[in-house]
Amino acid sequence: MAHAAATDHLETSTGIDNKKLLMWLFLASDCLFFGAFIAAYLLYRGRSVVGPYPEDLFDIPFTSVSAFVLLMSSVTMVLALAAIQRGNVRNMRIWLLTTAVLGTLFVAGQVYEFTEFHHEGLSLSTNLFGTTFYVLTGFHGAHVTVGVFILMSMFIVSMRGGIQQKDSLTVELAGLYWHFVDIVWIVIFTLIYLIQP
Amino acid sequence: MRRNGTTLTLGHLRRLRTFIPALFLLGLLALFLSGCDTDTPQNTFDPKGEVADKQADVFYWSMWPAIVIMTIVLGGLLVIMLRFRERDPEHVPPQVHGNTRLELAWTIAPAILLLAIGIPMVATIYDLGRPPSEDAFRVDVIAQRFTWEFQYPEYTDEDGKPLSVFDQSGFHIPAGREVAFYLHSVDVIHSFWLPKLGGKLDVIPGRTNVLWLRADEPGTFSGQCAEFCGLFHADMTMKVTAQPQEELDAWAAEMLQ
Amino acid sequence: MASIAVPKRSPLSEALKGARRAAENSSSIWSWIATVDHKRIGILYGISAVVFFIVGGVEALLLRLQLAQPDANFLDPDAYNRLFTMHGTTMVFLVVMPLSSAFFNLMVPLMIGARDVAFPRLNAFSYWTFLAGAIFLNASFFTGDILNGDLGAPGGGWFGYAPLSLREFAPGHGMDFWMLGLQMFGIASLAGGFNFIVTILNMRAPGMTLFRMPVFVWMTLVTSFLIIFAMPVIAVALFELTFDRLFDANYFNAEAGGNPLLWQHMFWLFGHPEVYILILPAFGILSEILPTFSRKPLFGYAFVVFSGVAIGFMSWGVWVHHMYTTGLGTVANSAFGISTILIAVPTGVKVFNWMGTLWGGSIRFRAPLMFAVGTVAMFTIGGLSGVTHSMVPSDYQQNSSYYVVAHFHYVLFGGAIMALFGGIYYWFPKFTGKLMNEPLGHLNFWLMLIGFNLTFFPMHISGLLGMPRRVYTYNSDMGWDFWNLMSTVGAFLIALSVLVFLYNFFLSLRRGKESGPDPWDARTLEWSLPSPPPEYNFKEIPTVDSRDHFWNTKYREDETGRVVPVLAGGVVEPEEEHGDDDEHGHGIHMPSPSYMPLIASIGFPIVATGLIYDYALVPVGFALILIGLFGWVMEPATEED
Ligand code: HEA
Ligand code: HEA
Ligand code: CUA
Ligand SMILES: [Cu+2]
Repeated sequence: MAHAAATDHLETSTGIDNKKLLMWLFLASDCLFFGAFIAAYLLYRGRSVVGPYPEDLFDIPFTSVSAFVLLMSSVTMVLALAAIQRGNVRNMRIWLLTTAVLGTLFVAGQVYEFTEFHHEGLSLSTNLFGTTFYVLTGFHGAHVTVGVFILMSMFIVSMRGGIQQKDSLTVELAGLYWHFVDIVWIVIFTLIYLIQP
Repeated sequence: MRRNGTTLTLGHLRRLRTFIPALFLLGLLALFLSGCDTDTPQNTFDPKGEVADKQADVFYWSMWPAIVIMTIVLGGLLVIMLRFRERDPEHVPPQVHGNTRLELAWTIAPAILLLAIGIPMVATIYDLGRPPSEDAFRVDVIAQRFTWEFQYPEYTDEDGKPLSVFDQSGFHIPAGREVAFYLHSVDVIHSFWLPKLGGKLDVIPGRTNVLWLRADEPGTFSGQCAEFCGLFHADMTMKVTAQPQEELDAWAAEMLQ
Repeated sequence: MASIAVPKRSPLSEALKGARRAAENSSSIWSWIATVDHKRIGILYGISAVVFFIVGGVEALLLRLQLAQPDANFLDPDAYNRLFTMHGTTMVFLVVMPLSSAFFNLMVPLMIGARDVAFPRLNAFSYWTFLAGAIFLNASFFTGDILNGDLGAPGGGWFGYAPLSLREFAPGHGMDFWMLGLQMFGIASLAGGFNFIVTILNMRAPGMTLFRMPVFVWMTLVTSFLIIFAMPVIAVALFELTFDRLFDANYFNAEAGGNPLLWQHMFWLFGHPEVYILILPAFGILSEILPTFSRKPLFGYAFVVFSGVAIGFMSWGVWVHHMYTTGLGTVANSAFGISTILIAVPTGVKVFNWMGTLWGGSIRFRAPLMFAVGTVAMFTIGGLSGVTHSMVPSDYQQNSSYYVVAHFHYVLFGGAIMALFGGIYYWFPKFTGKLMNEPLGHLNFWLMLIGFNLTFFPMHISGLLGMPRRVYTYNSDMGWDFWNLMSTVGAFLIALSVLVFLYNFFLSLRRGKESGPDPWDARTLEWSLPSPPPEYNFKEIPTVDSRDHFWNTKYREDETGRVVPVLAGGVVEPEEEHGDDDEHGHGIHMPSPSYMPLIASIGFPIVATGLIYDYALVPVGFALILIGLFGWVMEPATEED
């Protein structure tokens, strides 16, 4: 920031940076978004009147791998933050890019999964399972996509020298978001894929 | 004020103000007098069955305390406004910040009052919420925008099909006997309501709700759909006639012809 | 992520420099369009809300005309249904919430001693997105053949119960406009909610601890928390409806096994906190007006604050009281019945503490006080009828009847709207430097109070006489004629009072008496500033040493304990010195105006229109949103000089 704007207090009343607080609040609110979609999924579990049903379609090993990929991306995100906090811009860039690539891989896996399911006859309107499954996981996938977009923007900005050690908060915020999206996936993966009634 | 260029002054208004409340009360009185003599077929204050009766009681348990509290608060405000109105513009009253005892009192007292009416309320919920008794007269109600259909499984034709009535002013039930209404919807949500016999229950697609009512005496009862269901929701009315069992049987036999 | 420093020659910011300079000129229209000043945004919110109040009010008058007599033909059933849907939706989402937002924006930074909100551009984004949603929603009127009385507006009621809201039963696009318009409105509210929480937690002046904040600020905080947790729930419900309507999903499709009650649970899980979102700001306003005009501090500050917080928490555990008649069973009804009646306790604490505030005071009968006291009285009536609803078995009779309509107009109009009017009378001088005309204010108040009671009191009776709500007409042998006629007459009295208000407003703007900084001898920080306050609010951020900081500069207790004025007290910040060429004044850097929030906001209705009519527009809308957000992140928040 070139100038300390009037509203850009260096010191806040709580000592927490404004943007960080904003991010925490956003994530708290986002929990309810996911919570409501997950609740709808669970409410309708086993209520579909026609197939295909989850057990006909789920490919647990495949999804486990893509979940693992997403999990790893959290690790690389941590490394990116650690790098910039040490002032190592080059390493940060590498880790940011890795994170983005892993995220993209995850999304690609999801696209593959969706097309597979679609071929086997599950569409949004087939049954309750189709409706709740596509919307919930799609909503999560959209989150990951937005995350990838943010990471790539940061990568590009940093190529132009826009992110230095003093800007590590920016990376930290992106990281908060990214980890949140990961954790949500763990919850979804467990509830939807692993625990089957 | 004069600078604003209006001719109204506070003095004018003050004179007006003294008789505005009087006018208002007079108006209310007129309301009651003219409202009372009309016929009111869906009046919830005029229960004609056990269920409506008990529900009206529950209403009174909360209405009377509410009227008392309303009187206390509104009266209190009036007294305060008269007693503590500004007399000397220079006067600054003592800066009282609160009184913990008092505040605790008006936290706890309403809580006790509310629990005192809440517990019998729960008893009534369970009382009225029981399933219909064994010997209840069953009626299947089918709601469809914007009509009602009554089916009587107790009365069947040669093929075993239950008697079905579509005429919204020609529904019949037994008087003095519990009637169990099984509520089905073929489209959107409706609500089945016969105010003088009892409160409503929603009619929801994909789900069968059961409502039991009893008409103490023979009579004709007016009812109406009470959940907005679209264009002609207002016209989704019904008239239900309660009559002694023998008359009902005779009516059914005739209908089955 | 706005702290990414950008190389100076970023083409985007270069291109916008000129436009931004136009916006720097504080008298041009562009300066309003690009404004990020919380006071201007507050004023924009306020004006929009009043305009929509008139829209919603005229809709109500049409309803009342139709109901004035039995078997009337003034409106056909279809138009009637669409009008009450738009009336309810407008009043709740486009009037009370934005009017409350107007007060958050205007007052919160001034009250806590800040120069602006935490995220000024996010604030502008909130406003424009709200306006986009509001206009979008009302545009639905024109999708029908309006000249022939065929309104295209949604007609499913303000709570849009499924399955009536599905395409099968609500063909046409009205419902699409409703769900997508509300979605935009939700985004706007969420952004506002985040912003105010951060502002209140983080931007307080030194010494302004949480328990020294004015109660209005506390209520803003609680409301904002309710917003950020309640809005997602309705957003998800609306998403599900969107998928059902536009993409044939099955959320509410009973044939596919879907449960129509899912919508009701989600709507009311949002809806009940929502009604407290509507009333808590009003409670905050009352808690400012009553102390000022009785010249006493608020009685039992801590109780009032904690009861507000308690209401916030409890409001999450009562939603089933809107669904008693859906047949959820005795256990659910009992549990929610008890939780609902108990919510009267913290609300009662407030009522009694307000009475305690007035007690022993030296009460000045100015228009704001009249509205405030009127509100306490009317809200109490509405709250008490709420308690009679919460008694489950009696609600089986009341639900969906005019008795409910009476209840919620007493709390919404008699509670929220009247308090907000009081707030306008109270703070008008602060932002215009003019006093509102007092006799007209009293006239406005009495007309409104009487008209209001004449309209809504009879609804208790027609409701208990069995009149269901949402009926376009009724039969004359039901005994409801007289009560309905009264309601209609009353509604026109209210309309008259609103006209008096509008007249007073414009008259006072033009020819009102100079108010000076502190016309009411008030207690909170905003009155220490000139009226209207300068763009940067505080030349020097004050250091606060007590809850009654400003008051204590004016009054102290002498040896005998009597309260006496401090000589030369009430240190008011001097007016801005003119002839100072520095536009920002005193070298205080205020955030620069920006078009980016507006650009991003315009994207939303384009996406929505695309979803309804032509998917080709969807990417266009998204592109605009992205451009707006990108420019927003890239342009520096303050212009370098
Ligand atoms: C500002 C908005 C607002 C507020 C504050 C409230 C406050 C309350 N509401 Fe209301 N309500 C609505 C807006 C609001 N409501 C709306 C819009 C609807 C209809 C929605 C629709 O269907 O379209 C509705 C509907 C509604 C219903 C559903 C009715 C039905 O459809 O069948 C119920 C049922 O319990 C209810 C209860 C209550 C209760 C118990 C309170 C309590 O919070 C009230 C507490 C206040 C007091 C009680 C007064 C002051 C207290 C004292 C002086 C202390 C002493 C009091 C006692 C000991 C009793 N409300
Ligand atoms: C804050 C909320 C709020 C407010 C303030 C109001 C205000 C009013 N409401 Fe409404 N109302 C609701 C919220 C609100 N309402 C809701 C949520 C519903 C439920 C909807 C549903 O069932 O889905 C409802 C439903 C509702 C109904 C029931 C419809 C039905 O069930 O069939 C009725 C009927 O009389 C009604 C009447 C009125 C009236 C007469 C006013 C009056 O107080 C209005 C006063 C205002 C004016 C009259 C405007 C005056 C201005 C002018 C006239 C200016 C002239 C113009 C220029 C100078 C340009 N409302
Ligand atoms: Cu059926 Cu309303
Ligand atoms: Cu509620």
